[in-house]
Amino acid sequence: MPQSQYDPTLSGNQQSATSPQYPNGNPDASYNPATARNTDSCVPIHNTGEVVHNYSSNGPAPGKIAFRWLYGSNVAALNRDPRIQAVQYNEDTYILRQNVCVHWEAPFTYLLFGNAGALLIDSGATPQSAYYPLRDTVDQIITRWSQIRRRKSVPLTVVMTSGEDIAQNQGLGQFTGRTATTLAPKALAEMKRFYNLGNSWPSGTARIDLGDRIVEVIPTPGAHKDGITFYDPYNDFLHTGDLIFPGKINISNDTDYVASLQRLKHWEETHPVKWVMGGHIEMQFVPGKAYPRFATYKPYERLLQLEPVLLNDALTAARDVVGKQMAMVRPDFVLLNGVSPDQKTSVFPSGVPNINAPRPF
Amino acid sequence: MVVPFASAALVTAEPGPQTATTPSAERIDFMANVPAPGAFPGKWICGSPSCMDNHDPPVQVHWYNEHTAFLRQNKAYSYEAPFMHLYFGNDRILMLDQGFTTLRTDWALRDVVDDCIGKWCLRHGRRVENMELLLAFSHLHSDHYAALNQFIDRPNTRCMGLTHEEMVGFWGMTNYPEERVALDLGGRNILIWGSPGHVISEFAYYDTSTQILYTGDMFYRGRCYISFWDKWFDSMTRLIDFADTHPVAHVVGCHVEISRTGEDYPYGVTYQPDEAPMQLTVAELRKAYEVAKTVTRPGIYFTGSVFLCNQTRGTTTSDTNPYAYS
Repeated sequence: MPQSQYDPTLSGNQQSATSPQYPNGNPDASYNPATARNTDSCVPIHNTGEVVHNYSSNGPAPGKIAFRWLYGSNVAALNRDPRIQAVQYNEDTYILRQNVCVHWEAPFTYLLFGNAGALLIDSGATPQSAYYPLRDTVDQIITRWSQIRRRKSVPLTVVMTSGEDIAQNQGLGQFTGRTATTLAPKALAEMKRFYNLGNSWPSGTARIDLGDRIVEVIPTPGAHKDGITFYDPYNDFLHTGDLIFPGKINISNDTDYVASLQRLKHWEETHPVKWVMGGHIEMQFVPGKAYPRFATYKPYERLLQLEPVLLNDALTAARDVVGKQMAMVRPDFVLLNGVSPDQKTSVFPSGVPNINAPRPF
Repeated sequence: MVVPFASAALVTAEPGPQTATTPSAERIDFMANVPAPGAFPGKWICGSPSCMDNHDPPVQVHWYNEHTAFLRQNKAYSYEAPFMHLYFGNDRILMLDQGFTTLRTDWALRDVVDDCIGKWCLRHGRRVENMELLLAFSHLHSDHYAALNQFIDRPNTRCMGLTHEEMVGFWGMTNYPEERVALDLGGRNILIWGSPGHVISEFAYYDTSTQILYTGDMFYRGRCYISFWDKWFDSMTRLIDFADTHPVAHVVGCHVEISRTGEDYPYGVTYQPDEAPMQLTVAELRKAYEVAKTVTRPGIYFTGSVFLCNQTRGTTTSDTNPYAYS
């Protein structure tokens, strides 16, 4: 019997995402884990003055995606879910997802806080605030956070995993004219200057200091020529956008793509990484199966987060498709190199259960 | 003891052939002025940038003429956005295709159709309960019959079955696909014959009143996914032969997937802001036939009005990764 290449736990495909291993707590774990101190400034004993949070920790900061993502509806016009699903990962990290019935790309946007300001990574697929009130949602979270931390002003920086990606740059205009706000430029040359990477793209890195939380900027072209990955040393997340996410990944330049994955792999070997957090979910919770493009109803979605060990699989697969026009199915993503975004393949990875989830009807 | 079904009180004073008309209604002469004139809308509903902000009706009802209605499903209710047809005769109504929705609670195609029938009956002095409704569909794909079950409790209604046998049997055919049968709606004949190629089980329908030829998914302004090329080519030959011997006002299909500038809207999009007209001309049908004669291999062939997708997989589109760079 061939050894299975598929580990359901690794692929985040537990039978239920809300069914943890220890539903009532692990009796063998410490009552007082070291990481608890990262939360000790959240509720101050004396409710006066600015709260300064301690962002240093051994291991990833505590945090949890405890809720299922919204998944659209069979009749998109009748969907009445929130236009943006905002989830608190921890008190300094928020994950926002655009409703798939507003835009099929249903992109994820991340809002990170440090002692000196906030960082918004990506801006969604829809410019109109009436359809996609990103600015309002971000403003409200920032207001709430500033009340918790007793800040008069929270400077905001808006950056993108790709300035050219119309699934992630459309909401940028909603922040034009906002006070104490810095917007990363969309154009590649200006973006390089913005990060001071003009002479070291793509091998160099840059930093965004949020105040005791220094986000690293790692050039990762390949899915987009201006692709960037952001590394957050607080949660130990890699925010990869379109480079690697659980979905159909359109490789735009295979040489760059492999080089960027190698760079991320090296980064993962030299920095703690808890999860790789992409910009979308297109895979189903059965391995190797993706939702069709433009789908507005995805009831069987895979989890968003990718275990960092999957970077190995991505790198191996990417090397296999270099120079070939083909689609390659892996349990947690599909690589498309030099083919239509709709390309399919009848080749399914061996050792992986080939399961078809039921259709809506 | 055997009891007669109809009691004496229910028998009309003048027994005779039962018709759908009330005493005041006159038989309509659908063939008095053929082709019966009609018009398509300049623009159909075509989705919206944000599906959940779409405020169009679930289905657009367009009366082509007094006795013919075309329905188009909203793209925000299904990306397939199929078209449906209602042909009214003196005794019967034919509905071709039943959309891409199943639940009446999602949206009630049944109620829309009942409303159309009610209005037509009111205009023409008929009783709804006397008009038989025939529900048939172009072919055996779910975006063309999904709402069938919304009608199974409707009185005086017959539904085509969901197998090839039941479909062919519904029209009483014994020699599919060559055999051409005539369905009499009451002074309005619909000619029906087989049109396999996209799928095995598909029909062409020709209305003798409007002279509209309905070609389903085997020929429409979009990506004609041809599963069986030889069978499809034979079906095209049958269509051309028919057009050689019968007047055809318009050729209409089930979908539109092309913009007015010839842009191929990718499979699954929910917004087509610059859609080309749904109807095609006989000249466009003939042009496609000429192109088809030159096709020897699988692939996508654009005829100027339709994409002939010869044995490509079902959702092939012609777009490429817009971000590719070297």
